[in-house]
Amino acid sequence: MRKSGLIILSLMLVTGLMLTACGGNKTNSNTGAAATNNGTNKETAAPTTDEPVTITLAGWGASPEEQDLLNQTLKEFETKYPNVKVNYEVIADQYMDVIKTRLIGGEGPDVFYLDAFEAPGLIEANVLEPLDSYVTPEFDVADFEQPMVDAFKKDNVSYGFPKDFSTLAMFYNKKDFSEAGITTPPTTWDELKADAIKLTKKEGDKVTRYGFGVAPELARQMFMIQAFGGKVSDEEGKATFASAEALPGLQLVVDMHNVDKSSGEPKEVGAGWGGEMFGQGKASIVFEGNWAIPFLESNYKELDYATAELPTVNGTKGTMAFTVAYVMNKQSKKKEAAWQLISFLTGKDGMKTWTSKGFALPTRKSVAQELGYDKDELRGAIVAGASYATPWQAASTLPTITNNFNNQFVDTFMGNSKLEDAMKKAEDVANKEIEAAK
Amino acid sequence: MTQVSTFKKKLRNNVTAYLFLLPTILVLGTFLFLPVFYSLYLSGHKVNLLGDVSYKWVGFNNFTRMAGDERAWIALKNTASFALFVVPLQTAFAILLAVILNAKLRFKNFFRIVFFMPTVTSSAVLSLIFMWIYNSNGLLNRVLEFVGLHGFNWLGDPAVALKAIMLMNIWSTAPFFMVVFLAALQDIPDALYESAMLDGAGGFRRFISITLPMIKPATFFTVVMGIIGTFQLFDQSYIFSAGSGGPNNSTLTVALLIYQYAFKNLDFGYASALAVMLAAVIMIVTLIQRKLFSEEKLN
Repeated sequence: MRKSGLIILSLMLVTGLMLTACGGNKTNSNTGAAATNNGTNKETAAPTTDEPVTITLAGWGASPEEQDLLNQTLKEFETKYPNVKVNYEVIADQYMDVIKTRLIGGEGPDVFYLDAFEAPGLIEANVLEPLDSYVTPEFDVADFEQPMVDAFKKDNVSYGFPKDFSTLAMFYNKKDFSEAGITTPPTTWDELKADAIKLTKKEGDKVTRYGFGVAPELARQMFMIQAFGGKVSDEEGKATFASAEALPGLQLVVDMHNVDKSSGEPKEVGAGWGGEMFGQGKASIVFEGNWAIPFLESNYKELDYATAELPTVNGTKGTMAFTVAYVMNKQSKKKEAAWQLISFLTGKDGMKTWTSKGFALPTRKSVAQELGYDKDELRGAIVAGASYATPWQAASTLPTITNNFNNQFVDTFMGNSKLEDAMKKAEDVANKEIEAAK
Repeated sequence: MTQVSTFKKKLRNNVTAYLFLLPTILVLGTFLFLPVFYSLYLSGHKVNLLGDVSYKWVGFNNFTRMAGDERAWIALKNTASFALFVVPLQTAFAILLAVILNAKLRFKNFFRIVFFMPTVTSSAVLSLIFMWIYNSNGLLNRVLEFVGLHGFNWLGDPAVALKAIMLMNIWSTAPFFMVVFLAALQDIPDALYESAMLDGAGGFRRFISITLPMIKPATFFTVVMGIIGTFQLFDQSYIFSAGSGGPNNSTLTVALLIYQYAFKNLDFGYASALAVMLAAVIMIVTLIQRKLFSEEKLN
C-alpha cells in the first residue's frame, strides 16, 4: 500500500511538473505570436522572430507514398521558414471525434485537416480562425476552384483553404467490357443499367461478379437525390431526402440491386470498399475518386481499366466532389506561424509538390494546368467532373442526417423495406433528433 | 493528561492514515467521483462545450426527451435482448467448461490455457478476427456452405448482425467466468460427493443436488457481472458497425448511443442523461437479482 502510494504520489508530481512546463512553453510562444500579430506588415514581421516556434499539424493517415510526399512538402516549408518547426501527427481512427474532443479540452492542434462535410458544424461552433485578415494578394485566392473555397466559407468569411479534392468518376474494367461485347462506357443511367446486367456473372444462384459495385451511403448518393430536383436538407437544416423529387434517383440505385440484381455493395463480396471490390474483379464498374488510382496501381498492377465521367441521370450530368481544407484552431497560440504553414501548403509551390504525384488533385487552377491533370488519361474524367459536381456538404445537421439516412438506406438496399417507407422513417427520426437537439 | 495523549495519538494515527490514503483519494476523486457528479450535473443541462461554452439548466427535459427518442428505445431493447440471450448462455457454457476442467483429465493444464486464451486477447483484436470470420466470403460461411447450409451476410444483414456479436461475446467472456466456477468447484468437499454416492445418487443427481447449490455464490457473481458487462457492450458493436450501430439500428446499444450523442452530435447533456438512465437500469436489475438469489442466505 505504502509503496503504491509513493508511486502514485511521484507520478502525480511528475505529471504536475510536465503540465506546468507545457503551460510555460505556451505562454512564451503566445507573447511571441502576439508580438508579430499586430496589423498590416505580417509578411515582413514573421521572419524576424528568431525565436523558434513549433506548431502542430494534425491529419489522418494515408498510404506510405503519400505520407512521404507530405513530409517532403513539410521539409520544403521548414527550409523556407527556418524558425518554424512542424510537428505532424496522424490521427489514425475516428478523426473528427478525436479533433472535436481535443478542441473541447483546449488541446487542439494549431492547424488541421477538415473535411468539407464537417465544416459548417465547426464554423458554427466558432472554433475556427477566420483567415481573410491573413490573406495577402500574392496568395491569389481567385486561383482556387470556386466551389472548393466556398465549401469553407460562411457569410463570405473564409475559414479554410482546400488542400486538394476529388470527384467521383466511373472506373470500368476493359477486359470485362470487351468480353461482354460492350465497346464504349455507358453515358446514361439506362445504358449503365443495361450494361450492368450484361456484365453480371453468376455461378448457380451465387453472384461471382457484379456489373456495378455501389456504396449505399449518403456521401455517394447525394447527387442521385438531386438528379430529379430533390434536396438532402432545407435552409433550416431539416432533412428532406424523402420528398417526391428525391426518391426517383434513389429508386434507380435500389432497383439495380433488387430488381436487376446487377449491382452489389462491397460487403456482399467481402471487400472493404469499392476500389478493392473493383481490383478483386468482383465488380466491372465502380464510381470512385482519385484515391482509387494509386491504390489500384500498387495492389492490382495487372488490372486493365479506364475511367469515364459518370453517366447522366435524368439527362443531367452529376457527380460528388470531396474536398479537404487546412484550417486554423481559433485557440492556437501561434497563429502567425500557423498561417505561414497554411499559406505554404495551399500556395502554388506547396500544392505543386503535394499534388505532383497524383495522389491528390490540386484545387488551384494554375497548378492543375501546370501539372496537366485535365489531359491525364485516368484523371481527366475526375477533373472534368469538378465543374458540375455536388460538393459533399450541407447544413451543420448533416452528421445526424447522414447517420439516419445510411441506417435506413442499407435496409432498403438489402430489400427489407420499401424505399419510400424507409426514407420517410429516416427523415422523421432525423428531424425529431434535430428538433430535440435545438 | 493521558486522555490528551491518546487523543493526540489517535489524531496522529488518523492523519497518517489519511496521508497515505491521499493519493488514492485524489486519483479516485479525479477519475471516478468527479466524472460521476459532473455527469449528473450535465444530465440536467443543455451543454455546449465546443467553441462558445454554455450551460443551460433544463431540468428533466433530457430525461423526458428519451421517451420520444426512437433510437434510445431500440438501443435499450437491443441491449436487453443481448443480456437475456448472452448471460444465461455464457453462464451455462462457463459451468460446462469448468466441470470439464475439474474432471480428472489428461493434459488438464494445457486445456486450461487454451480455454482461457480468449479472455487474455483484447476485445478489439477479437472483433477484427471475428469480422474476418463473419465476412460473406469468410470462414464461417465457407464452413456452412461445406456442410450444405447457406451462409449469411453476417455483418450487413440486420436480422443476424446482433446475433453475430452475441456469439462472439459468449465465446470470449465465458472463459473468464469458467475460472470463477473452477475455483468454486474445487472448494466443494469430496466428502459430500462420497456420501451421496453411498446413498446411491448418480452423476446427474450429484450435479443437480450438490454441485449447483454449492456454486450458487459463484453463479450470482457471474450473472451480476455478466449483466453489467452486457449492458455496457460498446467496443464490439462499435467495431462491427464502424460506429453507426447499423444496419437499421440492429447493433445499436445504449453505450454506443451515448457515444454517438456525446462525440458525434456533441450533445453532452443528453448523452449524460442516457448514461444516468443506463446506470439506473443496471442498478435496478442488480437489486432484483440480489432479491432472487438471497432466498437462501449467501455469505
